[in-house]
Amino acid sequence: MSLRDHIDGLEADRDTASGIDREKAVAIVIFLVPGLTLFGIFSVGPIVYSAVGSFFSWDGFSMESFVGLDNWIRTFADPLIIHWDNIARWRFPMGALTQNLLWVVLHVPISTLLGLGMAVLFADLKGRRILRSMVFLGFTTPTIIIGLVLMFIYDPQAGIFNELLRVIGLEGSVRNWTQSPQVAIYALIAGGIWVQTGFNMLLYSSALAAIDPSVIESAKVDGAGRWRRFWDIVWPLVRPVTAVVVIMGIIWVMRVFDIVYAAGGSAGGPNHSYSVLGIEVYRAAFEPPIDYGKAMVVALIQLVIVAPLALYIARMD
Amino acid sequence: MTNDEPHTSREPTAKSDGGATEQYIPLDAVPESAPRPDLDWGTRIAAAVPSMPRLLKYAIAIAVAVLWIVPFLGLFMASFRPLGEILAGWWHVEGMTITFENYRRAWSYQTAPMGRALFNTLVVTVPAVLVVMLLGAMAAYPFARFEFPLKTMLFFFILLVMAAPPELVAMGNYNTLREIGLFDSYMGLILVHIGWGLGWVVLFLRNYLLGIPEELEEAARIDGASRYQIFRTIILPLSTPALVSVAVIQFTWVWNAFFFPLVFMRSPELYLAPQVLPLMTGRIQVEWGLVAAGSVMTMAVPVFLFLMLERYYKQGMVAAVTD
Repeated sequence: MSLRDHIDGLEADRDTASGIDREKAVAIVIFLVPGLTLFGIFSVGPIVYSAVGSFFSWDGFSMESFVGLDNWIRTFADPLIIHWDNIARWRFPMGALTQNLLWVVLHVPISTLLGLGMAVLFADLKGRRILRSMVFLGFTTPTIIIGLVLMFIYDPQAGIFNELLRVIGLEGSVRNWTQSPQVAIYALIAGGIWVQTGFNMLLYSSALAAIDPSVIESAKVDGAGRWRRFWDIVWPLVRPVTAVVVIMGIIWVMRVFDIVYAAGGSAGGPNHSYSVLGIEVYRAAFEPPIDYGKAMVVALIQLVIVAPLALYIARMD
Repeated sequence: MTNDEPHTSREPTAKSDGGATEQYIPLDAVPESAPRPDLDWGTRIAAAVPSMPRLLKYAIAIAVAVLWIVPFLGLFMASFRPLGEILAGWWHVEGMTITFENYRRAWSYQTAPMGRALFNTLVVTVPAVLVVMLLGAMAAYPFARFEFPLKTMLFFFILLVMAAPPELVAMGNYNTLREIGLFDSYMGLILVHIGWGLGWVVLFLRNYLLGIPEELEEAARIDGASRYQIFRTIILPLSTPALVSVAVIQFTWVWNAFFFPLVFMRSPELYLAPQVLPLMTGRIQVEWGLVAAGSVMTMAVPVFLFLMLERYYKQGMVAAVTD
């Protein structure tokens, strides 16, 4: 578009500004207002409220006076959020933030690799739709049921996991996995991986479907081995999806609540041994003694960790 | 086209020419009868049967997929069996007793009957989905087509809400609902779900609308259609696939949600189904049959919906996170 055209365009706009643009502006407002009102009241508003409220002292549910960083300092010094002594000795409970980050460190890489592996494995099989749906089933199930199913699997009597241990001769390890403070978190992370792998596989499958099979065929003809074909053809195409998979995984894990609640109630397990940030928010906000200031700080920590990642995804395209 | 670079391409050109002429056999050399298959049945069958590595691949794939649903298989089996048999291991199938007792007890569970809870869940989910679809489509239209002030800022808020954990809005919404008297009511929870879902729905539908050419709308404008008529008669019908995706995903999300009902529904007669399930675990011995029956009833709806509208669900899921 030349400069001349641009100026013409501006002039054309100005000619119609009084008539058509008014009508257009009214239409835009009518389309936007109902949705944005609800969005503002029930989503943006509460977030702003929490951001502001984290700097105030609270009496129950009502805001009192400005206290600066008081809530923030108090929260970071709280052993329920970060328990330095136990981290040094690697004993649970290590604090909800530490445990939540441990969850990220284990859950995200493993579920990403499993998702990619399954997508590649199923890619050219007959009946792949059924296989994929079987793996994806967990992701459509309410997560509270996932938590209950995990308790069922790890039950000392009725649980199939303990039966498996008995069969392979590890009777000494049979226990109620979700109630044993030092191992329960790993048992639950395994459950999280079980669910999220299906979602990751779905994203990878749709990326793999975009690869032209003839390219792979011709690479085969040219004598490229399995690994070479993967790194040179498949990987460059699935790499952008990997960023999405990893970031969605982190968002999912930083929000994890239902699974932990099902297994350990609002305490997050015996002696809070596998509590996560979401659980701490719930307990601080809705169980006496009510501490809205802390609840808001913890929820903001959750947001601060994932917000840059979400903005990064949005910037990618 | 090969004339420009004679040294590099002379050889291949010559070869392919030779190959091309050899494709055609002279007319008198065409045989009278059809060519006989040069493979006997044995080799043909051998070629149709997958090779060893491929068979192995199928075996691994099926084993993995089965492993992934074993926990649900266990849940399903447990829901039809008495507690004694579940404690002895649901994988022992000999002498199995099938009973619907668990379902009957879960349906009329004393604290919060599952029948009532499922009804509550439906009452909350259906309006939360329909309203989000309508308001989301309305708001997405200007986002896709027009420039207006504060557009970038609104975008930023939408992304912020999509990244935020539900816990972050719980405190503010708790106070708001108390203030306006909608705490512990269907309407309150519905409003929270609508406000929470609108962010991703607007973004998702806007991306979809960007892919629809504008010419149709321009033509309709010239014919004198108003912007509302265009929205109703062109935009909504054209975005049907995206709206179906929104409906399935939002339905699953609202139906499966546990945290919002836990915070906003406090009277047992208003409990939603996911909320009732952890109450069923009891204190001393977990009633696995009861929990399993309740879980199967609760998950049946989203799973059925997923299987029916699998294509929309998957496409929507992929588009929602990758666009």
